This record gives sequence, C-alpha cells and structure tokens, in this order.
Amino acid sequence: MQAFDYHPVTSVSEAVALLAQGASGACLLNGGTDLLAQLKEGRRTANHVVDLKRIPELAEFRLPPEGGAWVGAAVTCRTLSRQAGWRNRFPGLHDATHLIGGVQIQGRATVAGNLCNASPAADSVPALVVHGARVHLAGPAGRRIVPVAGFCIAPGRTILARDEMVVAIEIPPLPAEFGAAYLRFTPRNEMDIAVAGAAVAVDLDGEGSHYRSVRVALGAVGPTVIEVERITARLAGRPVAEVSFDEIAALARAAARPITDMRGTSAQRQHLAGVLTVRALRLAISRARRTQAASPTGDYL
Amino acid sequence: MPSLSASPDGSVAPALRVVGTRPVRPDGIDKVTGRALYGADITLPGLLTGRVLRSPLAHARIVRVDTSAARALPGLKAVVTAADLPPAPDRIEDLGEGAIDLRYLSDNLLAREKVLYHGHAIAAVAASTPEIAEQALALIRVEFEPLPPVMTASAAMKPDAPLLHAGLKTDRMGQRDAAPSNVASQLRHERGNLDDGFRRAAVVIDRRFRTETVHQGYIEPQASTAHVQADGQITIWTSTQGTFAVRSQVAEVLGLPVSRIKVVPTEIGGGFGGKISVYLEPLAVLLSRHAGFVPVRLVMSRTEVLTSTGPTSGSDLRIRIGADTSGKLVAMQAELYYEAGAYPGSPVGAAAVVSFAPYVCEAMRVDGYDVVVNRPRASAYRAPGGTNVAFAVESVIDELAESLDLDPIEMRLINAVREGDRRPDNLPLARIGYVECLQALRQSEHYRTPLTGRHRGRGVACGYWGNWGGQSSATAILNPDGSVSFNVASTDIGGSRASLAMQLAESLGIDYAQVKPRIGDTDSVSYNDVTGGSRTTFATGWAAYDLGQKLAAEMTARLAQRWEVAPESILRAGGGFASGDRRVDFAEASKLVCEDAPLMVSTTVHPKGYGAAFSVQCADVEVDPDTGKVTVLRYTIVQDAGKAVHPSYVEGQMQGGVAQGIGWALNEEYVYNEKGELLNGSLLDYRMPTACDLPMIDTIIVEVPNPGHPYGVRGVGEVNIIPPAGTLANAIHRATGVRLTALPMSPPRVLAALWEKSGYRP
Amino acid sequence: MCKVLIPALLRSQTEGKAEVEAEGTTVGEVIRHLDVRFPGLAERLLQDQRLRPGLGVAVDGEISHRGLREPVRPTSEVIFIAAVSGG
Repeated sequence: MQAFDYHPVTSVSEAVALLAQGASGACLLNGGTDLLAQLKEGRRTANHVVDLKRIPELAEFRLPPEGGAWVGAAVTCRTLSRQAGWRNRFPGLHDATHLIGGVQIQGRATVAGNLCNASPAADSVPALVVHGARVHLAGPAGRRIVPVAGFCIAPGRTILARDEMVVAIEIPPLPAEFGAAYLRFTPRNEMDIAVAGAAVAVDLDGEGSHYRSVRVALGAVGPTVIEVERITARLAGRPVAEVSFDEIAALARAAARPITDMRGTSAQRQHLAGVLTVRALRLAISRARRTQAASPTGDYL
Repeated sequence: MPSLSASPDGSVAPALRVVGTRPVRPDGIDKVTGRALYGADITLPGLLTGRVLRSPLAHARIVRVDTSAARALPGLKAVVTAADLPPAPDRIEDLGEGAIDLRYLSDNLLAREKVLYHGHAIAAVAASTPEIAEQALALIRVEFEPLPPVMTASAAMKPDAPLLHAGLKTDRMGQRDAAPSNVASQLRHERGNLDDGFRRAAVVIDRRFRTETVHQGYIEPQASTAHVQADGQITIWTSTQGTFAVRSQVAEVLGLPVSRIKVVPTEIGGGFGGKISVYLEPLAVLLSRHAGFVPVRLVMSRTEVLTSTGPTSGSDLRIRIGADTSGKLVAMQAELYYEAGAYPGSPVGAAAVVSFAPYVCEAMRVDGYDVVVNRPRASAYRAPGGTNVAFAVESVIDELAESLDLDPIEMRLINAVREGDRRPDNLPLARIGYVECLQALRQSEHYRTPLTGRHRGRGVACGYWGNWGGQSSATAILNPDGSVSFNVASTDIGGSRASLAMQLAESLGIDYAQVKPRIGDTDSVSYNDVTGGSRTTFATGWAAYDLGQKLAAEMTARLAQRWEVAPESILRAGGGFASGDRRVDFAEASKLVCEDAPLMVSTTVHPKGYGAAFSVQCADVEVDPDTGKVTVLRYTIVQDAGKAVHPSYVEGQMQGGVAQGIGWALNEEYVYNEKGELLNGSLLDYRMPTACDLPMIDTIIVEVPNPGHPYGVRGVGEVNIIPPAGTLANAIHRATGVRLTALPMSPPRVLAALWEKSGYRP
Repeated sequence: MCKVLIPALLRSQTEGKAEVEAEGTTVGEVIRHLDVRFPGLAERLLQDQRLRPGLGVAVDGEISHRGLREPVRPTSEVIFIAAVSGG
C-alpha cells in the first residue's frame, strides 16, 4: 500500500474543505471495508484519506415518531442490525444490511459506504431504492437532497462531485400496509457477492388483497440498480391474485441487462432476476399482511 | 535398519493402551492461543522485505528486463532476475517426492526466455520496507513479445497450437516423437482384449468429462526467510511439508552443497501437497546474499498464492465401460488428458492407477497424457489426480448401475477388488478393506434411512489411493524423569506429532504425556522424506515403533548389568521393568539408566507394505430447480484406516478431505479470460466452501489392519478427497435426472443442464 | 526364471507379449537378460544406468526403492510401473 496523509476530521465542513483542497487525490474513509482493500491491492490510489467516523452528525441514527428513519453516513450495519426498531420496521432494508459481510465487517461497514462504492452488486442499494430513500449531501456550496435511485451512474461512479460527501440517508415514512424484502443469490451461503439481487416493496389495501403500489429494483444484473417500472405499472391497483408470478418473473427478466463474468453467467443472472423478484414479492406480501414474523434473518434461497 | 517385512503380532492388538485413544495434540494449545509461529512470524535483526515481480501476461517472450531504475531507488538492497540463477541444470532428479526436472523447477522460480503463465515470477527485490520493495517492482521495465496463450488440453493438442516449449517432444515410455508438441508424455495400462470385452457387454456407457483447475487452498500463504551468512552458511526458515526436499531443491537450483544449507520448519498452516515444491526459498537465499548477507523474508499475498503456486490439473476425460446383464464389468477404457500447467508433470500417472483400481475387470485400457498449458505449474494436491478421474469413472459406474437397476453399493460389491486382485498397472493389492467399507456404508443408519422430499437425491461413490512409504528418521532421548524427547523431521500438517508420539509411547509401554515430540531442522535429524502421500503416521510411525523397541532394549541391557542378571530375565510390564523380586517403573528405570550414561537412540526406516486405502461415501443433496444451487443435506464417509491411531484426527482427515472435495465438486475453479489472465485470484471469488456451506460430515472408520505395520496403520490423509465429486454428481442426478459431466457443478452449470433437459430457453 | 509383466507401451519391443520370462538375481540383471532377447528394451527402461525418471519397479507386489539392485527370485514377479507420489 502506498503512503498517504490521514485526516481524522470532526466536522462535515472540515471534510468538505479537505476534499476541495485534495482534489482527486483525496478519499473518504468510512467503514473502510471497500477502500482499504482497494488501496492495499493497488486498485485505487490516494494521497489523502479523510476519516469520517469522528463526525458526530454522521453517527446519528433516528426513528422519528412520524415514521421513516434517519441513518447517518457513519452508522454501521451492525448498529442497524442491533436496533429492534430497524429490524421490525424495515425488514426489507434489514435483509440487505444484515447480509453485508460477517460480524466483523458488519461492525465497520456502512450503508452510505455501500452506496458510494457504487458496486452493481451492492446489497443495500436495491432495498433503498424500493423504500424511496433519499440521500443528503454536503458540499462547499451547501447541502442538497437526491433520491437513491439515480445516485449511482456506472460501476464505481456516482453523481457526487469531487468535493461532495454523503451526510445521511433518509427513509420516508411508510404506509400502514407496507411490506418489503430483499433477496440475493450467492453460490456460497456466506462470504460471497450477489450474482443477482432483487428488492421488492408493496403497499396493499386494507384487506391485503390488492396492490396499491409496488416497486421492484434489481441488483447485479446491470451496471447500476435497475428499477422494473413495468411491474409497478402492471400491478398498481390490481388484485394480488390476478397477475401470475410467471408474468411478473418475465417482466423482471425482460428488464435485466446482465453480463457474464467470473461470478456468474448472463443467462443465469437474467433467470435469477425473475426468480428472486417473485420470491421477494411473495415475502413482501406476507410481511405486508403480517402473516410472517417481522424479523427475517434466515436464508430464503 | 529393522526388519520391516514382519507381520504384526496378532497378540499385540488387543493390548493397545495408547493407540486408539484421543489425547490432545502437543501443538494444540499454542495454536488455539495464537502463540504458534508460522512462516510469516519469523523476525530477525535487520530483516529485509522481499517482493516478487510477476508476469501480467500468460505467454510471452521476454525481450529485455531493465532493473536499473529499481536499483537506483534509495532503500532498495537487492534485485535478482533469472540472470542471477546458475545455468539451469538439464537433469531430472528424484528429490524424494517424485522426479523433478531441475531445468523446469529453476525456470519456474524466475522466468528465463519466456513467461508461461499469468503470475510467472520474473524478478525479486529486497528492501528495508515493504513500500520501497513495491516501489522498486514498479520501476522494473520488462519488454515482452506477446504470444498466444494455450489454456486447455484440447487447445494445446490441436495440430497448429502454439508450443510452450520448442524442444518438448512426447515421451512414450522411453521413446520420443520426432516433432515437438505440447504433450509431454503418454502412458498406457492395458490388459485383456478390450474389443472382445465390449462385444460381451449388455450395456456400454461412453461419456466425456471436463474438470477445472483447482487450488489446495491452504490458509497460510507461502512464507520463507533466508539468511546467508558471510561464511557461506545458509539458514532457511520456511513453511513446508518437507525440510529435506527444500534443502535439496535449493541446493540443486543454486548449485550449492547441501552441507551449507540448514532448513528450519515453521508451523504450517496447511499444505495438502502444495508446500513441497519451492517458490520463495531460492529467491530469499539469492536476495540475502546480494543484499550483503542480511536476512530476507518473502511472504506471498493471497493473489500470488493463487496465480503462482501449484494448483492441480484441470482435465479432459473420456470413460467407456461395459457391463453384462448381471452387472459384472466386462470392459473398461479411459482416456485421461491432464493439464500440467506450464511445465510437464501433471498427476496423470497416479490418475491412471486410481481410475479403475476399485474394479475387477479382465479387459482394461487406460491412456494418460501429460499436456502443458499456460497455467501455473501443477503441483501435488491431496491424492494428486484422483478426484478428476474418479468423478468421471464413478459417474459412469452409477449410470451403469441405474440402467441395470442395481443398487449402487451392490454394483460396486459385484465388481469389488479384493486381496490379490490387480490395479490397472497390474500391481497386485495386499490385504485391503474395500468390501468392508462398502458393507459398512450399506449397514449405516444414513444409507438405511430413506431420503424423502422433492428435488432430493442420494449418491454413492468410492475411491482408491495407493499411499506411500518413503524414508523416515527419528531420535529418542531418554530423560532421567522418565520422559522421552522425541525428535522427528516429518513436519506436522495433520496431527502427526500426536499420532507419532502415541506410537512411541505404545512401543515403550508408557503414557502419551511422557513423550515430548519436536520437529527438528535438517541438521538435527537424518534424511526424511516429505510429509505427503499419506505416509507420515505409517512410515514415521514405524520409526517411532522402532525407537521404542530400541530404547527398551538398551534400558533392559543396562538394568541387567546393574542388577547383574541376564537381560532375558527382565520382563516388561506396564511400562516398568522386573527381574525376580526387583521391580522398577519406567521413571525409576530412566533415572537408573541415565545415572550410567545419557541414552539416545536413533533410527532410519524405509518400510514397504504401506497398505492401500479405500473410501466409500454417500451424500444426500437438494437441488433448487430455480437457482441451480446444490445444498448438501447429509454426508457420510467410510474409510479404511487400518488402525486409527488417534481416531479424532483420523476423523478430521476424513472430514477435511470431504470438505475440500465438496468445494472442488460444487464451486471451485480457476476462471481465465481469453488472454489467459486469472480473473478470480482471491478467496472471495475462488469459492471454497465455508462452514456455512457444509453439513456435519459423519465418519465411519473401518479398521482392516495393514499387515505391513506393527499396529496395522494405513495412511488416511488422501483417499477421502477422491470420491466426493462423483458422490455429489450421482446425488444430483438422482435429485434432478440430469448428469453433470463437468466440474464444478456450480449453479449456472446446473441451471443450464436443467434447462437443456426441460427445453426451457432463458 | 522369473515372470516379468511388460507395460503396454513397451510390448512393441516384446513381439506384443504382455508377460515374458527372464533370468537374473536382480532387476538390473533381469533387464540385461531381456535386452538380449528383445534388443532395445533396456534403452526404453533405463537412462544413465538407472530406471528412467518416472518409472518404478515392483517385485512380488511390493514397490521397490532399490531400483535395479532389488533382488529377484526365480519365482518372483517383476512389474514395471509409473512412479507415483502423493500430496
């Protein structure tokens, strides 16, 4: 690993100022689970490393009374998993944040880091998208808020300006009959990267028999997360029993644009997009109907 | 040298006190508390860090290596390239573990004219810090003339295939072809009339198979430290399966007398055959000398381990077997094409023996081909060559059994080899426990419990491994407190310190706790072959037994002199010595004996009769038809251990072999792009199973004593990895109706096979 | 006369015979004796007065480590095999 200057900053403005000075040679260190591996293996270089974990604002985690959640950028996945409120209120997000790494990695890794790393296979991003999450950014010109959908623009690339950083991720309040799930496929049960992933969020009517709205986002089957808008359009307002799962799977497959690489084949990924969408949808429906324990941590595959 | 042809004394077996118990291993506490010293833990005053520059290309001519900019870097202490190696000795040397062509070994250490695989070493540097060493690597300019890579046996055998070695001509048992080729050698085993055999067959199954390159996957990377002193004496600390093998390889490739080299073994974090060949040791020696007699340590990264140390061969296989209506095999034919990597030396020879070894058949032909390709030089991996061929053979046997409506165990019992039957190379088998293993599985709770549920299937397969004897040396020192210091040179990769100390304790009639085993360096114990070939508990165990006998005899003689009685009048009982009304326990005897003079005995053995090993395995799997993922629900391994010296560690070997075999079968593979670059050089993407992917692996130890060992021991380290791929392939077939003919049987491959069967188009 | 099993690729040297008889008290003598009857056979088995690298010999079912010096009795069976090692 090359030598670099280490900056343990304590405020957002300090971090942003360093980014502005350091230009392309500055990197943000949050959990470091991606960054340190990249630096060690020479896949990335940095002259300045700005450590964000000492910024109090970034460590904030809140579950406001009106619903939703505020997840500071430096809040670790382990912290989230241990919050009963997180597990119970956001099982679909919990599915994703609980999957990232083992306990040691969980203790370092953050959702914001997972998002900013912009891996096509990131586990938390599809789940954030279907929850309509928004990203709070800070830069020299002040703050702005953008949706998670569209934040990543290519593998390893985001809309962040060079001198911008993520402060927090905000989950909006959820409707009463809401259910969500994230499932991924990996050949190994642990220590693996998603070959394909699917997050589904549903809002059902009071009886749980009709879809009010549905959002589906696919991971690892394209350069960035793919939202399957044709499923959203097809299911909105329809009875749950009316549209077959086969048709939904076909819509998911049609939306996927996978490649073949060392982790899986294009045909496999395309197929998995359908399989995982249907499995996640069924789980989301059962969670919305509260027919299933709210805190799933087991394997659905 | 003791007489090693002796049969075991039948009366000894029931009286065993130590052999067969489960004491704690001597290295256990250090290992679980993190105190054990592994290769990378060696530190010395002034230690320099070494790094190796490796080829980014799979196949290229080296036009020029310019190290001048690196040499000018402050803090850089040494740079070496192939030009610093002595001329490559064009000789094949038997270094204890098979013949090694020294020219190839040398060229693999530092490439001379060509790089032959992605990761091939080109230069090595030593510097005062790792950062400087890495900077220096970046400053070395290598000019290449790229050549097209040849990545598989089938590509390498095409008439117009680029040649890896211009001078390589196919050797057909002492006769060389006229034209150069990528096929280094062919071997053939043949008996009976194959055509007649197939004519008599009621069913013939003829299938082709493919298996991919896989790595041993030891968790400790290669790590070596060398210190060349100004007087020319060299000390090497290294993680290895064989200190003497390291000594002779370093001596040969550097043109040094062995007397100048001392090799000190560290604890070893796994080897499985991969830590026999040298990679770093000669480089560390060269760097230490060039740096001005300063110690240099080289530790590989995980990626270097995967790109540049011996994996085992991928292979193309064709198996054709015929059976009559009763299930009796009437003709067996195999064509085995093993990828040796960049230099000749795949394990196709062992594969050709393993192939049909469990089966009696009068008409048999096995052809084996050793083919060079632009992948790292293959090295041994647990029963080298066995898993590939057994996957293919056991799949075909299962298909025959199914077509004849025979139970897979019954099919194997009908055709099982017994004592006196011959392997494919015509070597007759001594007393073996194969039929006993088959019967044990058939009677097991697992096999008698029907498997229910959708998408589930049960598979069975078997495997043979010949094991090895080799040479072992050891010494025992009697201490006045009744303990025995036991020095061996067999490095301990699988609990052998315990199994050897137990055999010495048994032979002496004392407790395990009284024996203190240590693993010595090459100056402390005489020549000893590598820990490999499942030989250590057998052969070094023979040495332990012999030491016990010698030590007891000498103690008896000295006590006889002291007591003024005839040595024959002294009787052994419970470890003690008695004559008339005199009686001393072992500790008292030790004190008396040591008062006269210190007592040390040593021995060197080279036992024959090493006793072949068999294993039969059974797996229940569930296949997810939507994802192609195979979940192993239940697994049982049966293995003949001869006599399990330490049953827990025998079970550990059995489970370990199965775990590696499951990984090989289901997910592990080297993934290359069309340029010959390894894409998955990390343990994230080279998917070995973790504890989360494996069920409890149940073990059934069968004990059919090996007549060639005083306690009946057979080697247990290797045969267990041979059957898993076939076992799982057969289970997947029963679960899904599809036969996978390529390893790994990974989710995309299973899906593709299911789609082909159902006609589904993704 | 001991019995010698000829490896498949060498049977072209022994008129196609898979099994021949030979005299000698060691493996080396057996090979020399066979080479008189089947000229060229020794060259296929030996290199620098030793068994070729990669080649082994078994006498009476036991793989030998003495090579050409391994004793042979009149009732012995001599088998030339590929030398195999483990991991």
